[in-house]
Order: sequence, then C-alpha cells, then structure tokens
Amino acid sequence: MNSNSPSTSAGGPGSADSTAPRRNSKRPKYSRFTQQELPACKPILTPKWVVEIIDRYETDCVPLDSRNDKVGFIQSPQDKTCHRNLTVPKRMKRPIYVYYQLDNFYQNHRRYVKSRSDQQLRNPGDEGDTSACEPEDTAHGMPIVPCGLIAWSLFNDTYNFTRNDQLVTINKTGISWKSDRDHKFGKNVYPRNFQNNTLVGGAHLVANKSLSEQEDLIVWMRTAALPTFRKLYGKIEVDLQAGDVINVELQNNYNTYSFDGKKKLVLSTTSWLGGKNDFLGIAYLVVGGLCFFLSLVFTIIYLVKPRKLGDPSYLSWNRNPGGH
Amino acid sequence: MKRYIYINHDDLAQDLYCDNRISNRKYTLWNFLPKNLWEQFSRFMNQYFLLIACLQLWSLITPVNPASTWGPLIFIFAVSATKEAWDDYNRYLSDKKANEKEVWVVRQGVKKLIQSQDIHVGNIVWLRENDEVPCDLVLLGTADPQGICYVETAALDGETDLKTRVIPSASMGIDFELLHKIKGVIECPSPDKDIRRFDANLRLFPPFLDNDMCPLTIKNTLLQSCYLRNTEWACGVAVYTGNETKLGMSRGIAEPKLTAVDAMIDKLTGAIFVFQIVVVIVLGIAGNIWKNTEAKKQWYVEYPNESPWYELLIIPLRFELLCSIMIPISIKVSLDLVKSLYAKFIDWDDQMVDLETRIRSHATNTAISEDLGQVEYILTDKTGTLTENKMIFKRCCIRGTFYGNENGDALSDAELLNAVSTGSTDVIQFLKVMAICNTVVPIQSNTGVISYKAQSQDEEALVRAAASLHMVFVNKNGNVLEINFNGLLLRYEVLDILEFTSDRKRMSVVVKCCLSGKIYLLSKGADEAILPLARSGQQTRTFSEAVEQYAQLGLRTLCLASRELDDDEYREWSLMFKEANSKLVDREWRVAEVCQRLEHDFEILGVAAIEDRLQDGVPETISTLRKAGINFWMLTGDKQNTAIQIALSCNFVSPEPKGQLLLLSGKTEDEVCRSLERVLLTMRITNTEPKDVAFVVDGWALEIALKHYRKAFTELAILSRTAICCRVTPSQKAQLVELLKSCDYRTLAIGDGGNDVRMIQQADIGVGISGREGLQAARAADYSIGKFRFLTRLILVHGRYSYNRTAFLSQYSFYKSLLICFIQIFFSFISGVSGTSLFNSVSLMAYNVFYTSIPVLVSVLDKDLSENTVMQHPQILFYCQAGRLLNPSTFAGWFGRALFHAIVVFVITIHSFVFEKSEMEEVSMVALSGCIWLQAFVVALETNSFTILQHLAIWGNLVAFYAINLIVSAIPSSEMHTIMFRLCRQPLYWTTIILITMAGMGPVLALKYFRYTYRSSKINILQQAERLGGPILSLGNIESQSRSLEKDISPLSISQPKNRNPVYEPLLSDSPSATRRSIGPGTPFDFFQSQTRLSSTYMRNSKDN
Repeated sequence: MNSNSPSTSAGGPGSADSTAPRRNSKRPKYSRFTQQELPACKPILTPKWVVEIIDRYETDCVPLDSRNDKVGFIQSPQDKTCHRNLTVPKRMKRPIYVYYQLDNFYQNHRRYVKSRSDQQLRNPGDEGDTSACEPEDTAHGMPIVPCGLIAWSLFNDTYNFTRNDQLVTINKTGISWKSDRDHKFGKNVYPRNFQNNTLVGGAHLVANKSLSEQEDLIVWMRTAALPTFRKLYGKIEVDLQAGDVINVELQNNYNTYSFDGKKKLVLSTTSWLGGKNDFLGIAYLVVGGLCFFLSLVFTIIYLVKPRKLGDPSYLSWNRNPGGH
Repeated sequence: MKRYIYINHDDLAQDLYCDNRISNRKYTLWNFLPKNLWEQFSRFMNQYFLLIACLQLWSLITPVNPASTWGPLIFIFAVSATKEAWDDYNRYLSDKKANEKEVWVVRQGVKKLIQSQDIHVGNIVWLRENDEVPCDLVLLGTADPQGICYVETAALDGETDLKTRVIPSASMGIDFELLHKIKGVIECPSPDKDIRRFDANLRLFPPFLDNDMCPLTIKNTLLQSCYLRNTEWACGVAVYTGNETKLGMSRGIAEPKLTAVDAMIDKLTGAIFVFQIVVVIVLGIAGNIWKNTEAKKQWYVEYPNESPWYELLIIPLRFELLCSIMIPISIKVSLDLVKSLYAKFIDWDDQMVDLETRIRSHATNTAISEDLGQVEYILTDKTGTLTENKMIFKRCCIRGTFYGNENGDALSDAELLNAVSTGSTDVIQFLKVMAICNTVVPIQSNTGVISYKAQSQDEEALVRAAASLHMVFVNKNGNVLEINFNGLLLRYEVLDILEFTSDRKRMSVVVKCCLSGKIYLLSKGADEAILPLARSGQQTRTFSEAVEQYAQLGLRTLCLASRELDDDEYREWSLMFKEANSKLVDREWRVAEVCQRLEHDFEILGVAAIEDRLQDGVPETISTLRKAGINFWMLTGDKQNTAIQIALSCNFVSPEPKGQLLLLSGKTEDEVCRSLERVLLTMRITNTEPKDVAFVVDGWALEIALKHYRKAFTELAILSRTAICCRVTPSQKAQLVELLKSCDYRTLAIGDGGNDVRMIQQADIGVGISGREGLQAARAADYSIGKFRFLTRLILVHGRYSYNRTAFLSQYSFYKSLLICFIQIFFSFISGVSGTSLFNSVSLMAYNVFYTSIPVLVSVLDKDLSENTVMQHPQILFYCQAGRLLNPSTFAGWFGRALFHAIVVFVITIHSFVFEKSEMEEVSMVALSGCIWLQAFVVALETNSFTILQHLAIWGNLVAFYAINLIVSAIPSSEMHTIMFRLCRQPLYWTTIILITMAGMGPVLALKYFRYTYRSSKINILQQAERLGGPILSLGNIESQSRSLEKDISPLSISQPKNRNPVYEPLLSDSPSATRRSIGPGTPFDFFQSQTRLSSTYMRNSKDN
C-alpha cells in the first residue's frame, strides 16, 4: 500500500500568543494567517513501507535432544531461555510494535470464547459470578479471579531485546484498549486464587496489581476471531536502523506443541491502514480489473451488436398479432 | 331426538334450550390465551420457531442470548393474537347489536318490548313489516285473512324473490287478541341446518280447537334473518333460538384460502428446512470429528476425556440453533403487513368507485391479493354481472306484427301506440296478460306514484311497459286486481296462481273478470314451454321466428298466451289443484302435473322481448383480460340463445369466420358422449389454428358429462379458452369451478346474485358485484366491486403489483437470512466447527427486525411498470400467471446470490482484518456492516421506482444502522462497547466496506445490465420504452409481421421440449422458452396430451415467443 505520510507542523511559536493581547505594544498583532504559519499537512508522494520482522521460533527454541518430545520439554521445569538474533532489513521508525503470533490456536472456539465472566472482571463484588467460566471457575472451592479458560491460558512467553549489548526497552503500558482498562477491567479487582489448580495453564498474574493494570491479560482477553492472530506484546520507542542486529532473549514457556501451533515474534511498524497486509491492495486491483474488463466487454458488444432499447417490436404479441 | 315446545308457557322450558343469544365469537375472555396459542402453534412454522426458542434456553448449546429468538417470536405472536382479538371483538360487537335489538314478545299474556337475546323457546314473537326475524318461528298468525305472509329469504338462500308463508290450519282464524293467550305444544326435531325441511306437528290446547295433530312444514316457518315483507304483521312461536337456528347451524367458518404464492413460499420454506437439516447434520458430524481429533490436542479448551453419549448431540444442536435464522421469523409478519396494505390499496382506489352508487371496491379477504395476479380462468355470471340487470321491455311481436323493429323500442313505436289507442283486441289482450299475469305487488305512495315490487325483474319490466302503454296495474286488493286502461277501471279476481318453477319454465294465473264473470287462464313463459301448447290450428311459426330473431339480438324473450276457461272445467280442475296443493308427499310434482292439465290449447298472443343491457365497458374489459391470457367461462341460468348473443356482444366469442362455437348437447348419455367426442375432436384440430373456439353446453348435458365423462370433459375444459354454460344451477357452477381447480388452474368467480354464492366461495378468488340482486354475493366474496369493468384494474393493477411485490419480498427475506446464516456457517470452519456465533445477540436480533425488514417493507410502493403501460399491454400479466417471479428457479437465483454475497463478505472481512486486527467483536461488526451495505444496494437494485419513502427507508436504514450501533457502542456494559467508534475511525474499515460493496454488487449489476439489455424480458422492454418516453402503444403490427415470421420458428422448436414444465429460469430474468404451468405429470390425461400438448401450448406459447 503506497501512502502519503501525513505529518503535521509543530505550529507557531507559542510565546507569540502571550504577547498579542498587550495593547500598548508597538509590535503588530500576530496572526498565523498573515505570517503564513498555519498548521499544514505536508504530503510527500512516496510510498511508506511497513517494515516487518517475523521470527518463527517454536521449534528452534527446543533443544535438539528434546525435539522428538517437545510437549515433554515444554511441560518440564527446566530452563527454557532461548536466544534469537533479528536483523533489521530496513529502517524502522518508532513506534515499533512487538507482537507475538500464534497459529492454529482457536481463541474463537465456542467452549473457549464463552469461558469468561465480564461481571467478575469489572466488579469486585461479583467475584462469585463464575457460572460461565466452567471448567476454570473455582479452585479449592473458592472462585478464581479472573476465571475462565481465556484467563487461565494466558500467554506466558517473555521477550527481552538488546541491541549492541544495550537493552532496548519495551514499553508495555498502553498496549491494551483504553476502553477495556477503563470499563471492562476493574481498578479495584485483584487476581485471587489464580492458577491455583493442579493444572497450570499459562502465565501467573502479579497479585497486587489490579486487573486494569494487567495489560497482558487485557490484550489476551480480547479474543481473536481467527485461529491465526497476533497480540501486542509491547512497543519499542526508538528507531531501528537498517542492518541493526537485535538480540532477543526469550523465555519459551507457552505450550503450542501439543497442537502443533507455530509461535512467531513479530516486530512491525504501521501505516494508516495498520500493519502489513497485501490483501486489500490485491483485492482492489482484481475487482477493479474485473470491472474494467466487464465494461470493455459491454462496450464491444454494444459497438458490434447495438440493440435498440424499448423497441415495441420486440414484444412477441406485437410480432404475431393473431397468435393467441 | 325431538323437542317438545310448549307455546307461551313462561315457566316451562326456560332453561331446557338455549336462549336467543347469538354468538359468532371464537373466544371468550378466559379461553382466549390458551385457545389462541393452541391455534397458532398448530402451524408448522410456529412449532418450529417455538422449538428453536426452547432449545435456546439451554445455555450449553445456545450460541446467542435466547432473547434474540424469544423477542421476535413473542412479538409475532402478540401481533397475530391482537389481530384475532380485534376481529373477535368486532364479531362480539355485531353479535351484541343483534342480541340487543328490541322485539315484541308476549310475556304473561301481554306484548312487551324485550331484547332479542331474551327470547326463549316457546315465546310468541310479533313482527311488523320489514322486521328481521330474530329466531326460527312457527307462524301462528298474520295480518292477512288468508293466513299468508311474504318473506324475503335472501340472507338465507340468496333468492331475492318474495316467498309466501302460511299459518298452519290449526291456528287459522284465531283472533288477534286470542293469539296472545294461545297455548299448545309443538313436536319438532332437534335443530339441524336443512333450510328446506321442517317436519313437525302442532297441537293446540283447549279452549282452542283441539283437533288432531296439525302437521307443520317449512311453509309454516319464518326462519332467522329473513325479512317480513308486504305483510302488516305476523306472529309466531320460537322453536329454535340462538345458535341453534337453521341459519346458526349452517353457519360455518369459511376455510381460509391459501394463495398460490403462499403455497410456493411454504414449499420453499420446506426446501430450506431440509437444506438446513442437511447442513446441521454435516456440520454436526464434522464438529464431533474435529472435537475428537483436534480439540483433544487443544489443551486450553480443556475438553474432558470422558463424556456422556449425549455430548454427541450438543454440537449438532448448536448448529441447528445457529442455522435456525435460515428460515426468517419475520417473513410471516412482513407478509401479513404488506398483504393488508394491498387490501387497503384496493379499498382506497379512487378509480374503482362506482360513481352511480358511490360504492367503493372492498377487499374483504386481505390475504389473497397475489392470487389476483395469477388468475387463469374467470367464471362469470351473466345477468347482473355482465349485464346491468335492468330489464327493459324493448320489442314485441303480437299476432305476427313486429313492433319496435324500426327504432329498437316498442314503447315509442307509433304503430303500437296507434294500435293501443284504436283498441285492437289482440294488442289489448296482450297488454292485459302483461299487466295481470304476474305476482307483482303495486305500491302506491302518498304522492300517487305507483311503484312495483316484483319477484323477478322480467315481470316488473312487463308491468311497467304495460303501464306506459296505458294499461296501468293500479292496485292489488286481496285477490282483486285493479287495472286502469285509458281511464277505464277493470277488476279481475285472481283465482289461482300456477307458480313458476324452473322445470315448468312458465307461470300462469287463473283470473275471473269481475265485469263479465268469464274465467281466463293467462300464461307467460319460455318459448319452448308455451309454443308447443298452442291450440291446434294456430300457426306458431311467426312466433318461433320472432323468438329466434329477438334472441339473435341478445334479448330475453317471453311468450304470452291465454285461454278462456269454462266454469265447469275450472271448477273440476280447481278441486284437483287444491287436493294436490294439500298433498304432503311429492307436492311439487303433483302440482306441476295438475297445472299441466289446465295449460294446453293456448291462444298464443305474442312474444315480448326484454333487453338486459350490458354494463359499461364489459366488452373492453373482456377483451383486455383475454389478451392478458385469462380464459373466460360464462355460467348462466339463462337460455342458450340469449347467452350466446350476450357472449357475442361482449367480445366473449368472436363472430363467425374467426370464432367457432361448438355445441355440446344431448339428452341421453349416448348423445352427450357422441357430442362430447365430436367437440373434442374439433377442438384438438382447431387448436393449431389461430381461431377462437368456444364450446356451449347446457345444464342437462353438463350434468351427464360431469357424471359419466368427467375425464373427457376435463380435457375439453383445458383445451378451450372460452365456454358458455347455460341453464346451469348454482351447484353446477360450483362444480365447474371445482373442476378447473382440480386441474390446478387459478380460478376467479364473479357474480352478483345469491345463486353465485356457492361458486364464489368455491373459487380461489370470489368477486362479488354489489349490484341490484342485493349484497348477497358481495358479502360472501373476497372482493366486492361496483361494476364488472373494475375487474381489469383489480387484476392487472392490484393483482399484478401484489404478486410482484410479494414475490420480491418473500425471496428477499430468505436472501437476507441465508446471507447471514452462510456467514455463520463459514465462520464455524475457522472456529473449530464448534458452533461459535460470529455475531452477537443484539446484532442478530436487530438484523432481522430492523436493519433488513424496514427497507423491504417499502417495496409495497414499487411499481415495475406504470399502470397505463400495464393496461395497454395486458399480455404482461403472463409473467405473474405463469409464476415467473417466484418459483424454484428464481429462488435458486436468490439462494446463489446469498451464497455469493456471504463468500464476498466473509472472505474480504477475514483477510482485511487479520493478525492483530482479528478481534472478535470488530470482525463481527465489519461482516455485519458488509451485509447491511450489500442488502441496501440489493434492495435499491431490485426497486424499479423510487419514491421518497423508498429513498428514506433504504438509505435512512443505512444511517440508522450506524446510529443504532454507535449508541449501543456507547453503553459501557454492552459487549460491543466502543467497537463501532473504533471502526468508524479506521480507514481500513471503510476501505473494506467499499471493497465488499463493489465486489458484491459488481457482478450482480453486470449480470442485471446484461439481462436488461441483451436478454430483456417483456417487462424490461416495456420499462425501457416507458423510460425512453417512446411510443408504448405498438404501431407496427403489420410491417413487423413478415419480418418476425422466420424469427418465430426457431425459438419455438427449441422451446417445445420444455413446454408445460414448471418454469425454471435463471436469476433476474425469464427465459423466453419457459411456459405456463402444466396440469402436472400425474394427471390422467396423458393419452390425450401426447398429441394435444404441443398444439395447445403453441397457442399459449405463441403470445410469449
């Protein structure tokens, strides 16, 4: 998708405004218009590429000796640290979004998608409202907060980025929807009894942080409609230059091996249409081409074999009047 | 069972029988809810919806909130229950009005005014002239010293003539005062519905004549809802009351009529249901397989390892619920709504108002307007329907002299006037018969103007004509008639009346001239009933010629005759007549036989010709509707010649060279059989020629043909576009309707009189003309119109539009439901076949109830062609008749379109909103908005004429969709909180929507353009002509004829194998090769049709090709 890049000028100097009201000043009245300093959009007709780095790591991060029993490896308590090197192919302007991508993971499965309690997430008083959360509704006879399969299976791989041995900070605040933080997840609802069952699904939560601050959970609980999906992990707030090598230290904790799901780490910039997606462009071209082709065909048919519209002689009863 | 009724016994029998409270109500306050629900749930569709709604209460399997089904379901039930309740309330009101009508009843020996509902069996009820009879009474006394009273039984049997009723012999001569105190007992059968039979006995108690049992017949009764006429008062004892009267017992709830369109919709619903079951089974199996293989590995779903067997059912049931929207719950409500609007459009139509009587057209049955557009046969009555039923004496032939031949009106024929003034005996005798030989009652108003009350229009016409020829029938005083001839008052005493019956076809009176004391027998009747009885020696040839000549002109003829009787002869005969009249068994036959003994050796006086004028616009109406491919049958009680003449004069059949009449007659089985074969043979041969062939049959031959040669007659009925059936009875009319219906033809019966009621009720559509024969037919009919010519508009405009609109609306309803359902099905493939709903409950409910139903409802205003164009090209009705706009193949088109659009919406949505954007709620809203945009454009594409309302509904609906969703998105607790705001800010959303709309509508538009321009149907051509403003009226018949000849041959030969199959045609158009509906492959006429099919379809086809 080629796009012009909208950029806004920073505006006029703010100090000018404060001097304007002074009447006895000899300075002429400042106006952005007269001084031709109106904020302007300066489109540049150059394509803006969305740069994307995708790193599939679920197999590579299993030690060679465990590769024939990946499920056993992931369920074992051993250290699962894994190092990956990513090379930046093109300059990436900040913010750079860090996603993890899961494949063949059915967040839209009926049993899964319903297994949550919005009441409980919002309201500290409703923590017992776990009827929809079956089978992850209670542990040791107490309601789980947050309950349900979605929360229980929270993604728990972690990533740390270093560039030239310098830590690249990942901003993990503001990665979820603001509306979710404000309205869906309560500010005074704290995790309780979470991952306390014999079977531990995914990540643990920090016990003394309210749910509205647990942004990884909030992101995860916006269920995806497709079995392949990306979730925002964090934002890198610095530009990456072409050729930079980024070292990722990741904790490969999440079990996608039982269902042969891929795990990918994605670093991507965005454009006005969002991330990298060729589909719309191709689809527009195809539909447009089809329309063009059809109009061409109709034009040719019209030129070769014109037909008079609304000619009464086409009416059969006019053609053989005695026919009935 | 018998009942014993004690007359005037206030304490007895009070509670034994019901009181006279009439109740037509279906419900009471208490049983309304259960009964109404039970009735509604006896329909399959409702049971289906209830089952779905109940399944949704099971939260394990429901994909959405149960409210999304319960809401609409309760709404639909509430709407139809309210309608029922309203109808029932109106019935209650009319019952109440009848029940609270005040009548005079004897209580404790005194006449009191009480409410009609308080009449009890055994009460004596007093009636005055023109009162309606409140319950079934046995007559006890009348104002007439002879014990006679007149009643009009139109409401009961539809016969408008006055009938005489006599009091039983036992109560003859009882004093007016004594009648209040009369006591006695009546032994009568339990209530039944036979209005021609009442076998009972009466015995009066002392001090009244305590003779033996006095037998009672129907002649002694006054039945409920009749009117007392020409009698000052009458009184009778109530024998049956309330709902147990003869009328109440025979009152049945008319079977609701189902239109062809409804039947087709039911069929399509069934097909969709089967499709749905298949989908559910396939997806259910796939879901269980996925669950047992894949889902076990998906640890985060935590399927238990062991599960009870019924778990297997859960996934199929989930899919059943997910797919339940395939059958749109809103279709019934939408259809009911638009149907009642169609009916209102008929009621409101200013062009169907009879300007003379200010009677508007009215649709009593609001549910069958579509059928009007699919009529194939019109069966019409003649008198009063095609004609005005205003009889006017036009010509006569007296003793070989023709009067009125020159100027067409005998009343202004100088020759006749001259003959009257010179006192020609023949003419005077003729006029006397005209004035006397009848049962007319003259009524002199205060101003001295004499009006005549007659049983038949003919008699009235004759008396009027006589009056204008100075033979004025002034007064009827008991049995004495007074006639004023040129100021000379003549009195005649009526001795006997030999009544008219349809067998005798004549009526006679025996009168005694008060002046000379001579006794005369005066007769009038049909020519075949009078002329053979002429005295030997009289030449009747001139009269037969006159009859022939008049019949040629379409006039009704009556022969008048007289004979002077000897005193002795009369006295002898009179005894026999009295005896025959008092016979209890076979009375009618005996009386007829006795009459025969007197009616012979007539002196034929002449022939009177009466004109029954055609209504305005009848020929034009018939030729227009015949052009529209509608076949006309005339069913009349009149005689053959008159019927044929009327038929000729109103374009029913073409005159000789072009048209041909085939007579089907015969008195015996053999004759009829031979005649039938001959007619059939001719019919088959002539069918290949462009010729108007009609067959003419009389009631007698029809009876035999229907009884013994039904198969052959049915074939004849199918082959012939026109038929004239004369001398047929009401039940035969109904039989003919039944015959055509059994061949799967849509029939419309139109009539005006009580004798047409059965035919009207039998036909698919009954149309009544609110005419001179009363409102009987109009009341029984589905539609009542003021004039025959409104039929064109009713069929071509209202019927056609209704059909088109319903065809669109019903298919569109399925389209939109299928569209959203397909998306759900596709989604299940990427959600682990687990039955997740992509859309949330609010969206699903609103989709059916608001987003998609409002734009389509305004399609009731859509007009594909203007009314004028349709009127000029009635042939276009063919598309409706043949069901071209709603049939399995057009439905397949809509089905395909739904599938295509679902693919477009689904594929584009899941490919644009991928990865980090694949959030469930967002994807769901994108898909939903895609559907809404597409459906708005589909409605716009299928709309032929945009009024402001249509723009408002279609585009306003689109705006409303966003408004509603933005509002819902603003509610923090809703599932889709902020979703719509987020989407509307994203350029991706709008580009996706534009892409969906383009990809969805582009091909449909191209296809439509192609069909419209290069494969245009006749409708398209007319639309184009209309829009170009060119000559819609075809001009070039002649020059285009030669050119088209070679063109015609090729399509015909191609199309023939397809003939008479149900029409299968591609989306959006109609292939020219398809033809009208066949009589079905299972019918037993295959033998004939192997040879006749091609030829007969040629005719029907040729107007299309």
